[in-house]
Amino acid sequence: MRVRYNIISICCFLLCPIVLFSQQNVEQDATQEIFKNETKKLNYLPEFYKIQSFFFEKQWDSTLVYTMKQLRMPSDDVTLMNYYHFFRAGSFKNKEVFDEAENEFSKITPDFKFYNLVKMMLGEVAFSQQKFQKAIDYFKIVESLQNDELIGLKKNNIEENIATCYMHLKQLDKAEVYFLKSIAFLEVQKDTLELVSSYGNIASFYYNQYKDNQAITFFKKAYQLSKLISDFEPKQDAAFNMAIVEKNRKDFQKSISYLEEHIRWKDSLNNQNSIWAAAEKEKEYAVREEQIKVSLLEAENKAKDAERNLYLYLAIILVLIVAALAYFYKEKIKSNKIITAQKESLDELNAMKDKLFSVVSHDLRSSVYALKTSNTELSENLEAKNLNALDDLLNTNSAIVNGAYNLLDNLLHWALLQTEQSYFEMENMHLFFIVEQTAYNYKPLLNDKKIQFENNVSEDELIVADQESLKIVLRNLLDNAIKFSNPNGKITIYTKNTTENYCDLVIEDTGLGMSEATRLQLLEDSVALAKKENKHIIGTGLGMQLCKSMIQKNKGIFAIESELGKGTKMIVSLRKNLPNGSN
Amino acid sequence: MDQINVLIVEDIPAQSKKLTKVLEENGYNVVAVATTFKEALALFYGAIKIDIAIIDIFLNGAPDGIAFAETINTVPNATRPFVFLTSSTDRQIFQRAKLTQPFSYLMKPFNELEILYAIEMAVEKFYAQQNVFLSKKEDTVITGDHLFIKKGKSLKKVQLLDIVYIEVEEKYCNIITEKEKFVIMISLTKISKLLNPNVFTKTHRNYIVNSKKIEEIVPADNLIMLSSNHHVPLSEKYKNMIKKLHTLR
Repeated sequence: MRVRYNIISICCFLLCPIVLFSQQNVEQDATQEIFKNETKKLNYLPEFYKIQSFFFEKQWDSTLVYTMKQLRMPSDDVTLMNYYHFFRAGSFKNKEVFDEAENEFSKITPDFKFYNLVKMMLGEVAFSQQKFQKAIDYFKIVESLQNDELIGLKKNNIEENIATCYMHLKQLDKAEVYFLKSIAFLEVQKDTLELVSSYGNIASFYYNQYKDNQAITFFKKAYQLSKLISDFEPKQDAAFNMAIVEKNRKDFQKSISYLEEHIRWKDSLNNQNSIWAAAEKEKEYAVREEQIKVSLLEAENKAKDAERNLYLYLAIILVLIVAALAYFYKEKIKSNKIITAQKESLDELNAMKDKLFSVVSHDLRSSVYALKTSNTELSENLEAKNLNALDDLLNTNSAIVNGAYNLLDNLLHWALLQTEQSYFEMENMHLFFIVEQTAYNYKPLLNDKKIQFENNVSEDELIVADQESLKIVLRNLLDNAIKFSNPNGKITIYTKNTTENYCDLVIEDTGLGMSEATRLQLLEDSVALAKKENKHIIGTGLGMQLCKSMIQKNKGIFAIESELGKGTKMIVSLRKNLPNGSN
Repeated sequence: MDQINVLIVEDIPAQSKKLTKVLEENGYNVVAVATTFKEALALFYGAIKIDIAIIDIFLNGAPDGIAFAETINTVPNATRPFVFLTSSTDRQIFQRAKLTQPFSYLMKPFNELEILYAIEMAVEKFYAQQNVFLSKKEDTVITGDHLFIKKGKSLKKVQLLDIVYIEVEEKYCNIITEKEKFVIMISLTKISKLLNPNVFTKTHRNYIVNSKKIEEIVPADNLIMLSSNHHVPLSEKYKNMIKKLHTLR
């Protein structure tokens, strides 16, 4: 019983590959090749391309979903529809939903290029549904076809399928016929590999019917042939079958040797598998190694890039720093120049100030000393009750004090001018009244020297100036005119209107006059102090300097006309109105 | 003609004494000399109406003079012309003083001419009638209630309400009051523009009459009788003024 059972199990074991084998034929091998080439023609359709990709990747569910979508849309393209039905049917078949598969296959029209393949598939479906007679009908249709219509399907496979079906129908005669047909076909084709399995199948077939002699012949044939091929699996099966046969014939010696052979082939297969697995591992390892190398190189590249960028940035920063340094250096040189110029002018001013200081203090000392001696004389005369002399002395004292006062006043205004602290506002004013007011203070002095004074300025003469600074100018010029006038001389102040914008105020005296050199020196923009030409009457020159600065500040022009011994004209040109846009 | 009332705000007696002397010599009436800010305010708003104030910027070292000017400027109708006195040329002090418009100043030490000039300038600027006293053509500034007239070196004032009538002759105007009669230099256009038209009415091309002094109008003789036995002609052209008088009274 155990023996029978074993052989049946082998049979079942052998039968299944037959069916599977034919299935695989569709998806691989020649048939699949042809099928794929045909479908390529339609791959320009994106939807079709997607579906066929799913189909060949055995994603049955996706194939079903997408073909459903496509089939829902009505289309005239029968070929395309047939393909979609085919994909659907194939997917159902692979998912073993055989009713649906059959349904889908039946929807394919006969003009479909792979209609024979459809028949083949329908046969397989029927076989799977155990409708063996139906399967046989389908298979027979395919079998009856000519070779060129088979689209790569192998005739022996079809025949073997038919045989298997008959076997299931217990029509053993017909099954035998078809098994033999298949073998005959294969023997003509000299397909050793297929022959081994076919011999095995027919042997199992005979063995099941207890036709041991015929069975053993085929088992042996299979075993002999299996030695010629390199595949381990058929060798293993053939050896195992032989082992069972010998065991049943009670020839345990041989059985054991076949079994050993079977085990050897099995081991070889395992070995091969393990070698293959090892190779796989090695490959994986190598790939990993490569990957590591690649990532290492990548990292290196990255590092190099980073380094290069760093250098680039450094270079840019350096350039910027150099540019900044150059700029600051230039600025520094510029400011140094300015500082040097300022230092020079400061030095000059300081020197001038020192000189001014010494001259002024010298002058003041002389005045105070004169006052001191005069005061002594005064008290002496008072003691002697010499009243006539007192009047003269007081007059002298007053003159000395006046001179000193003027000097101090000029000094104050000079200081204020230098620091620009004083109030300065240019306004319209009547020149006549300013001259009158200024001259008023000099009336006693003029009388004393018996100088004739005339203010010939028109009362309508309007000029623009700052009142206080104009008064200082006039005071100094008048003071000078009196100082350099001889007794019984004449001082006249009048205006000339020579140009449109300026009014020339002339202070004319009939005094000592001055040389051309002195005149130029006076007009010079430097501070030339303390000239020694007229020792007794010449002052510090500060007044003159102050005049020039004040006139300039009032936007006026200063000029001197003079002839030695005949007199001097001091000409101050003042603006009649303000220049546009300036103060 | 009355004297101009001057208030001096000055803390140094020697200075105020000298200033008082000069002003009185030139026919001004120095009402009082204030030495502090408080005193100055009390005197300024006191019994005697001040016509002009002369203010020292620094009182006891502080710029209270400016503060005083600022204070009197805040009362619109009571404010008066003023002159700042200063020995400083400090720019900042001047900037502050300048804000008390109209602004005129006098720098110490000053002489007689300068102080008189400064007062005249202050009056001209204050009443916005410049180039009056300094020109040869005019000599009178008209204020809300007075005429300020330059007489010689000095200024005098006449109350507008005292005027009976004004007779215009070319550039001159004869001013006739109850007591006196004098000539001023002012243009007709200016005088008619600046006098209150509700009080002073033209009756003739050359006559302007204080309507409050009219006693009788005799249209038949084309005469207007005024107080103190004055009378002026009434020309056809100006007869309309009679109606205006009725509406007034």
